Amino acid sequence: MKALIKYTLHDYLRSHKYFPPISTFIILIFVYYSYTQNPVIDSYAISALIVYIISAWLCMSVLSLDSPVQRQVMILHLGGRNRYYLSKLIAVWIISLILILYAFIYPIIFGMFEEPVTLKIGLVSIVNLVFLSILGISVASLFSKVITESAVNSYGGLSLAIVISLAALGIYDALPLYLKNITWIIPPAASTQPILFNWNGESILDLSLFPFLWIIIYSLLLLFLFLTLAKRFQK
Amino acid sequence: MDKLVELENISKIYTNKNVLRNISLSINENQAIAILGGNGTGKSTLLRILAGIERPSSGKVHYLNKNIKIGYVPERFPKNIRFTPSEYLRYMGEMSGISKDYLTKRIKNLLHRFQLEGLDNHRIMELSKGNIQKVGLIQAIMQKPNLLILDEPLSGLDFESQEELVKIIGELKRQGTTVLITYHESHIFESIVDNTFLLHNGSISVTESIEKQSIKLLVVRNVDKSFVKEWGEILELEEKDQQLYLYVPVKESDVILSRVLQLNGSIEAVSTVTLNDMERSL
Repeated sequence: MKALIKYTLHDYLRSHKYFPPISTFIILIFVYYSYTQNPVIDSYAISALIVYIISAWLCMSVLSLDSPVQRQVMILHLGGRNRYYLSKLIAVWIISLILILYAFIYPIIFGMFEEPVTLKIGLVSIVNLVFLSILGISVASLFSKVITESAVNSYGGLSLAIVISLAALGIYDALPLYLKNITWIIPPAASTQPILFNWNGESILDLSLFPFLWIIIYSLLLLFLFLTLAKRFQK
Repeated sequence: MDKLVELENISKIYTNKNVLRNISLSINENQAIAILGGNGTGKSTLLRILAGIERPSSGKVHYLNKNIKIGYVPERFPKNIRFTPSEYLRYMGEMSGISKDYLTKRIKNLLHRFQLEGLDNHRIMELSKGNIQKVGLIQAIMQKPNLLILDEPLSGLDFESQEELVKIIGELKRQGTTVLITYHESHIFESIVDNTFLLHNGSISVTESIEKQSIKLLVVRNVDKSFVKEWGEILELEEKDQQLYLYVPVKESDVILSRVLQLNGSIEAVSTVTLNDMERSL
């Protein structure tokens, strides 16, 4: 798996396909912090949503690198389909982690915050950033070229899923009581936002942990679905 | 000889087209098998199913050795690879778990044998079709597989590389590799192939040496096509200018001729053709 992760990162670098998502990310973070002074927790929470969207975009472009025949050849070398897909997703995650590092460090280095970043706030923000990158990757995997052949369905479907997931809180409020449970199927990208916005940063115990946990459970369910569908959609 | 792979009632259907029908086949260790047939008869599909990279619509593939190493050369090797041959081969070898030292020596040796050494500063996407095909061959043979599957490996190769390939396949066979191969219009593999199978209308038939033996072409008239279609001995059937062109193995030709006469049909011509002639005219 290590060899395929290295191959994928090397190939992605040579393809130049990384340029649109990564430059967009750098610009968005740069523009977001163009006004100083910013609140730490809220700013990192917004950065996490940007990471969610960009991770999804990265996943789509990395999963489109290999032609179907090349994919078949590599699956044979690796000795398993799941190893192939997991290596690809780990490669995407590694790129996302680099972006997270940038999103985390940039405002600290350039003094964009109105207060210092405490260890607790830093830790919770990093966890939120990492969890949302995993969610973005797992959501996008289902709309990737592996599962959806048509580019319109693929990018159209992913855009819709992202918009719905960002609007989930509004959708929850707008729905009548008996339909509110339907929002459980929406990717929980926004679920940690109100919790973080209302957190004063003093104690981690003041935070409701379930929304964080739900992001990971939801992502794992999607990844399981992706691996199952990838096997079935093989000709 | 021990069995290596077993196909059990394999069928494959692509949107209403039944490409393979109920194919059962045992492949033994240390064998070289050719699978022949016209274009679109499902040879590549069968090879992909054997390699485990395509699922049959029904039936099962059993690998008797669970740790089987399979080398696969696709019919069209991908052209858009952004690595040089040795970079690419190194990655593929590492994915297969080949040790770094062995990989370095093996890649150097194979690049030399296929005359790719001088092109190693070029990316694969910049190479010619034949040289890309050579990279495709090397990635499949560098790990000395238990089962080597080659789908039309000669396409685009120059004569020297074809001969080198035959030599390497012979070496691998002696070292215990089972080889499955499809090809067209060539006799270059005759010396190493042990068994030949013919794919026809989605079914497979053992034709021990159909490549070497001749086929009779019987041109007949006044026979109902629906009767002839039922005759299992017919390899191929074609209708032209109210005549039926029947391709049959030599040893079955007398039986077919007498059946035509019994049905009051007339025989317009009888000639001897090869499998390649038959494929070309269909």
